[in-house]
Amino acid sequence: MNGPHSFGLTRRALLASLAGTGLAGSLGARAGAADLRVAAIDWAMLETALALGVTPVAATELKLFRRAAVEPAVPAAVADLGLRGEINAEMLLYARPDLILSSPWYEKYRAQLERVAPVESVSIYESGRSPYAAAEAASRAVGARLSRAAEAEALVARADADLAVARSRLVSFATRPFLVANFGDARHFRVFGADSMFVDVLARLGLRSAWAGGSAYGAVASVGLEALAAMPEAWIVIVGPTPPGVRASLDGSAFWRAMPQVAGGRVVDLGPVNPFGALPAALRFARLLGEALAGRDHA
Amino acid sequence: MREAVLRGWAPWLLLGLVAGALWAATLGAHLGAGLRPSSELDRLLLLHSLLPRAATALLAGAALGLAGALLQSALDNPLAEPATLGVSAGAQLALTLTALLAPGLGGLGREAAAFAGGAGAVAAVLALTWRRGLDPVSVVLTGMIVAMVASSLSAALILSQGEYLFALLIWGGGSLSQQSWAPAGAIAAALALAALPAALLARPLGVIATGDSGARGLGAPVAAIRLLALGVGVALATTVAAEVGLIAFVGLAGPALARLSGARTTKTVLLASPAVGAVLLWLADGAVQSLPGGFSQIPTGAATALLGAPLMLWLLPRLKMADRPQRPVRASSRPADRTFTVLLALAAVALLAAVALGRSPDGWHVAVGTDFVELWPFRWPRTAAAAAAGAMLGAAGVIVQRMTGNPLASPEVLGVSAGAGLGLAAAMLLSADTALPLRFAGSAGGALAALVLMLAMSGARGVGAERFLLAGATLSALCLAALNAVIATASARAFALLGWISGSTSAIGPDEALIACAAAAALTLPLAFVGRWLDVLPLGTPVARSLGLGLRPARLALTALAALLAAAASLIVGPLSFVGLVAPHAAYASGLTRPTAHLSGGALIGAILMVAADLLARTVIFPYQLPLGLFASLVGGAYLALLLRTR
Repeated sequence: MNGPHSFGLTRRALLASLAGTGLAGSLGARAGAADLRVAAIDWAMLETALALGVTPVAATELKLFRRAAVEPAVPAAVADLGLRGEINAEMLLYARPDLILSSPWYEKYRAQLERVAPVESVSIYESGRSPYAAAEAASRAVGARLSRAAEAEALVARADADLAVARSRLVSFATRPFLVANFGDARHFRVFGADSMFVDVLARLGLRSAWAGGSAYGAVASVGLEALAAMPEAWIVIVGPTPPGVRASLDGSAFWRAMPQVAGGRVVDLGPVNPFGALPAALRFARLLGEALAGRDHA
Repeated sequence: MREAVLRGWAPWLLLGLVAGALWAATLGAHLGAGLRPSSELDRLLLLHSLLPRAATALLAGAALGLAGALLQSALDNPLAEPATLGVSAGAQLALTLTALLAPGLGGLGREAAAFAGGAGAVAAVLALTWRRGLDPVSVVLTGMIVAMVASSLSAALILSQGEYLFALLIWGGGSLSQQSWAPAGAIAAALALAALPAALLARPLGVIATGDSGARGLGAPVAAIRLLALGVGVALATTVAAEVGLIAFVGLAGPALARLSGARTTKTVLLASPAVGAVLLWLADGAVQSLPGGFSQIPTGAATALLGAPLMLWLLPRLKMADRPQRPVRASSRPADRTFTVLLALAAVALLAAVALGRSPDGWHVAVGTDFVELWPFRWPRTAAAAAAGAMLGAAGVIVQRMTGNPLASPEVLGVSAGAGLGLAAAMLLSADTALPLRFAGSAGGALAALVLMLAMSGARGVGAERFLLAGATLSALCLAALNAVIATASARAFALLGWISGSTSAIGPDEALIACAAAAALTLPLAFVGRWLDVLPLGTPVARSLGLGLRPARLALTALAALLAAAASLIVGPLSFVGLVAPHAAYASGLTRPTAHLSGGALIGAILMVAADLLARTVIFPYQLPLGLFASLVGGAYLALLLRTR
């Protein structure tokens, strides 16, 4: 038990030291006997594979992933499979994967994907279920499938530890609720609800959500800015990507500046985080939130 | 006279009061029953959100009403308005381009871009209809087609950037939610700037309305006056588009209802239209906000389309316009069998290219040998499904064109495909089951309802050929607006519907492809036996009777077949491909004029077009792929616009 575990840790340390040199992927691919060429259809699976030290040979919509999810960094050698709503099966074929990581969102592509390689479909987002716990289970499932069980355990444990540390730092902020929002333009945002990863992470950080309304599949689309008036005591957590120019028009808006949350300095802008991600996205959210709130007045 | 005008205004006073009451109810919901801000926050909400929203609704309504009145006088066309001339969609396309190429551009820059886009769309519409003397119905029909192409192009641009939905939904829907006075201020400024030219133009436009010869007698430069009125109207409409997005049909309803309320002269129409538009938009916005739960997020623009399109359908037969006689399509005199040889060769080339040609990470690639064997299972299903959909749309188009005797009728233009979408949406909303039979039943029901409605209209008195097409385009806009309202609720079903509208073929597997081919075969083979009906039906009842043909059963059978064909095809490629229009027309023009030859030629050309479009959609921005329906609509729409020009 100790053997593979410590082996995994040393290799992780090695990979970390090689990160950025572009060698990590190829080294990771050579390191184990059971290494597979993996393609990731779902972004949560792409994140998970990368976090386990496996660089996929192909993944979907990387143009947007690099802007909207940012972490983990995707090496340039990974082939782009095109839009998630219009997956390029031929490109997938050229990538010659041994295993395809997908999710139930892409069920209609399953037959096509299975023609290329075996498909492992892992579900994280389902109504009435905590996405964080599901992301933990997904990490273990993917770890087992990629012969990275030890790395998966380490990822889950590290996520737990990171959240615990963040929780203890943020304990003084628990007096106020938090609204997690993504701006569509300067007049509308979408709100992340109780079944979203962000609100689940908030709860694990000992914080509560300010959004009492319902939500369908994680987020409520197109809420007018004036909805902020109904939750004057809240913190506003902006999750990117925010369209260009929106921050500038918000800062120029008298209404926005006069909102109690804004006037009270209770707005944090986290930059882009993937709202339908796995543990890496959850950790990125928690880390960015902790950094943004550090040194802020919690009153 | 004065009394009549006063009587005409009474309903508007009443509607204004209703809108005010709805607004008071919204205020009450936010501020409590006393309607008095009890806290600093309530005051903020009142001053920076609720009041500016009402002001924006009133001002945008007024601006659109005035824009509609100006465009209508300038073009001497009672159906002209920002949406029907392609102004709003052109502005949207320009704004999308701006967002992609110059994202930092501020307010004035955005407005300038929107104006350029709107003016460009109008210029295109006028250029395409110039030869037909800017005949009103042709202008509006071309405008609505330009609008559809511009919208497809915007969507394709957004998709090709891997970015979608959120901003598109808000903007495309025209939400009036406000947090500042800036949009209201910008629209008010545009209105103020437009007021002087509008006042100065009122008299000369009135003179022009009495006939160009009279205007020339007065020494008024007619062309300059029309152009100025057009420019001011476009500027007003694009300012609204840049500030709050697409708000359809208010510009049509304003002047139309003003006239119905007793405004007779150009001057009174120009004065009354803004007032009517203001009340209408305020009313629509109040109605949307008092909807329960998730539906209160429906953008007001989607709601005005739902309210305005029925008005347009009602107005069409009542407007005094001369329907111009159809010029018959000129057919080539080439013998039919030679045409078929050419078409079959083309089909073989298209099919071969679709399964063998593609792009790989190393560039263009012709698959032979093992490559071909490997790619075959991925390429044949989508190619077969595209061919089946194209053939079905082509055949449906031939039936519809022959039955109505109108060479521009097609499932897409008549709203039959969009009706299929609405039926699909209804089936998906009413049942959690998303199995294929249910989806097909829903879309077939919707298609049938739309087609029956349109055929009933084509038989109605006072509906000429082009007016009929316009009614179809309006029905199509109505169905698509309803679909947008469903999509704005952003549920899982909404995403499925969005995929359907864009017409995606990338997920089609062998089973679905075989079903599509079987449906195409089962629905087109009976057509071999109905050739005679198609020959006889347009000749009228007595001839049909004398030939021993029951007119009603024949019409019924053909209607059902066309609706089923359109529904099945639209499940695969969505509602907007225009192949059902292009294919029959091209078949006829290439000499296939007899019904049976027309049918098989239309189906064959439809299949060729769709297969070629699928090949292009798969390769133009490789490795990214565009949805087939969207791509086909760009090609088909352009063909259609050119067709209108040369006709």
